[in-house]
Amino acid sequence: MKYEPQAGAVKLTMLLSGTVFLLMMIFGLVLRASQGNFIELDPAIFYQILTAHGAGMVGSAALSGGAIMWYFVGKYTKLNPVIYWLFLGLFLAGVVLILGSVFIGEYGGAWTFLFPLPAISGGAWGVEAAVIFCLGYVLIGVGFLLYYLEMGYRIGKKYNGFSGALGWRYIVNGDLEKAPPPTVIAAASVIIFNSTGIIFGAIVLVASIVNLLLPEFAVDALLAKNAIYFFGHVFVNATIYMAVTAVYEIIPEYTGKPWKTSRLFAIGWALVVVFVQLVYFHHVLQDLVMPAWMLALGQIMSYASGIPLIGITTFSLCVYIKGSGMKWDLTSKLLVLSVAGWTIGSIPAVIDGMIAVNKVMHNTLWVPGHFHTYLLLGEVAMAFGFSVWLVRGKAKKTANNLLERLTFNIYALGGFGFILVFLWSGASSIPRRWAVHLEEWHFHSQIGTVFAVGVVLATAVLVMIYTAGLVRRETKK
Amino acid sequence: MKILVVGFAFVLSLVAQIWVAEDPVIHVLVQFPLLVFVGYCLASGMRIQQIFMGPLLVLAVAAILFWMLPRTLDAILTEWGMFIAKFVLLPLTVGVPLALCWRHLNPVVRGFVKAQAISMLGILGFLYTHAPVRICNSYLLDDQVRLGYGFFLVVVGLSIVWTIPVFIGDRHEMEKNTPSRSVEIS
Amino acid sequence: MRQNIAATFCAIILGGAGLIWATDGLQAFTAEGARRLEISNNRPFAPDPILETMEGYFRPLKEAPSKITLIEFIYTTCPTICQSAGGEFARLRDLLVKQEIPVRMISISFDPQQDTVEALSDYGELHGALGKVWTVARPDIADLEALLDFFMVTVIPDDWGGYQHNTAVLLIDKGGRFSGVFDTNAYQAIVQAVKAASR
Repeated sequence: MKYEPQAGAVKLTMLLSGTVFLLMMIFGLVLRASQGNFIELDPAIFYQILTAHGAGMVGSAALSGGAIMWYFVGKYTKLNPVIYWLFLGLFLAGVVLILGSVFIGEYGGAWTFLFPLPAISGGAWGVEAAVIFCLGYVLIGVGFLLYYLEMGYRIGKKYNGFSGALGWRYIVNGDLEKAPPPTVIAAASVIIFNSTGIIFGAIVLVASIVNLLLPEFAVDALLAKNAIYFFGHVFVNATIYMAVTAVYEIIPEYTGKPWKTSRLFAIGWALVVVFVQLVYFHHVLQDLVMPAWMLALGQIMSYASGIPLIGITTFSLCVYIKGSGMKWDLTSKLLVLSVAGWTIGSIPAVIDGMIAVNKVMHNTLWVPGHFHTYLLLGEVAMAFGFSVWLVRGKAKKTANNLLERLTFNIYALGGFGFILVFLWSGASSIPRRWAVHLEEWHFHSQIGTVFAVGVVLATAVLVMIYTAGLVRRETKK
Repeated sequence: MKILVVGFAFVLSLVAQIWVAEDPVIHVLVQFPLLVFVGYCLASGMRIQQIFMGPLLVLAVAAILFWMLPRTLDAILTEWGMFIAKFVLLPLTVGVPLALCWRHLNPVVRGFVKAQAISMLGILGFLYTHAPVRICNSYLLDDQVRLGYGFFLVVVGLSIVWTIPVFIGDRHEMEKNTPSRSVEIS
Repeated sequence: MRQNIAATFCAIILGGAGLIWATDGLQAFTAEGARRLEISNNRPFAPDPILETMEGYFRPLKEAPSKITLIEFIYTTCPTICQSAGGEFARLRDLLVKQEIPVRMISISFDPQQDTVEALSDYGELHGALGKVWTVARPDIADLEALLDFFMVTVIPDDWGGYQHNTAVLLIDKGGRFSGVFDTNAYQAIVQAVKAASR
């Protein structure tokens, strides 16, 4: 019998995150439609929806990534289910606080809660709403901390410390027998950098809360920005680095060749652990008071951080697929698309990570273009690829029918179109985070809206396919 | 031997008292830890029932929070009762419970407490370096800021001390747990 | 296992209750906070020492029992807080006068040895204290310690021959009771409190 670590909990999580993905995409569609002047939206509502869209997407990306990694790490070591339920419970409690703060408290200070915006709302929302928003984040952070501690403890024990689990000992001694599998290396890396991110995040969140309640405790704005982006960047990155374990674990079922740890692979992940924490400097390239060496570091790290690993993963994927006679069904297509999206998404990121470019591009729609490539075509595609696989296993008998082919094509086409419009708008210097767009920009947003409709429809079908699969499985039992 | 160490630490904490009234860094980051250490040493090696582990941890955490309250610091310097209580209760309500429960706690709980300690000390560092007013009436503003930087240093120190073992792992575990002999679940 | 969780849970409740008690219901984490809370709850009867004003008169602290008295403790050679406190006191005076709220304001020096009448009047002139609504005064050295003790003002010498001290606006109501402590720039709160106490 195939061992399924807390499969029930993971399936529930994927249902939740899939539904939230869909809901947040509808929010995104509304935002684009309003920018394209298709619908009238009060700017205050626009910013509330923008905040919910950002926080909700990052949240469900993290949630689905967490579920995927838990599922696969559970293949190699026993994990305590109580911790998973605590993680899920704290996560949902945090979501309730965030949604309450946004839609009841009318908080619209964006998911980055960048100081001093949450405190100085110009009367748009109360201090309480901002405090509750931050508390929601704190709960989610605590949930993830527990999750990482449990997983870290188990794999640390099994692979004798993190130098073992990260594959560092293997890099040195080359003993493939004792080398950890790719999933464990990925998990160990994420645990290290994201725990650091979360602890930092807790400090800056509580500092923000203190500042909101007692304004005399003025936060240094530049320090706050650095801390927030350190935490935010690491956290968002972690979502993909967690979800990619689905590629390492599922693709071999299609190609028939196991995804092996290699020295290059372990070195790639080792670089990620260090660089992912330093790369956030590219968020502050426009802050001229930052020391020049930090900004230069930001540019260099933008090249060095993701690229080796993405390169290794993409290259290995191509090698594994080549000549394997791999069967193309919904799962395998989504997973390959996700690696492609991840790779392609790095191109606009690296361009924006150059100081000279960043100075003109950073506040344009170029940046949403970059991270939507990573997330919409990367993380979300991984999550749905995993979900479909979860309810169906290797799709041997289930037909690669018309509906599924159509769904995938519309998702990919809509996604690429949607992103290209963002990049095109960014290249045309259309600013981001503007509720109301000039008439000359309407055409861009309108095309974006059309593509977004395609993505939303395809996602709705994906959620349906997953739910139907869940129901079928349950009734079969 | 143990009695010697305990006695020496206690004497050191008494010596530190000379500077306590002027210097919050000596007070909070030298004398307090010494007193906790005294209690920890006294009770280390003792065993108690499993049911007391959770409550003891809670006691230690609550007591740490209490002794770190700015108003407690002021009270220690102005009230005789609190002055004496510091020498008796810091070892008894923080050091002793920690010694009794720490090794027997679930590793996840231990990690959680460590992570919380690091972020809470970071927050204290923020508060003490950014407070526009004096948090303790008995100390100068400059000294308060110095204490804030002291907290940051402790954060750095604890992070290093606590993460290095995570990387190295346990030699004994390695022998017990070579992958070839470990239980494969899949 | 279940027993352990129950025991821990009870301990958390007890520990939480203890901390809530130690901070007066999570209201006062600092000695200053505790002081303010105690004063607003107990409203103790203020002493009435004779003060020497910047004009050279000797007047009791509670000279005009029909008026609310606002006081703050300063020393005139102070390079930092007391100067901004002086400016803030002036602004507060303007606000209260504009709204025609009768009030008496005194900046009291806690360094009567250094602060001569001349020094007091210089400080008053610098910040626009005219003596009518707001005056600057010093107590007798013999009364000083009791006064600082009662108003819970802590003064400690710093490294440059000056002092660090907790600065606040202290409110004495019509009945002569000490009934409020405010930050020196909490204008709205002070005006509200004076209005409420005037009724």
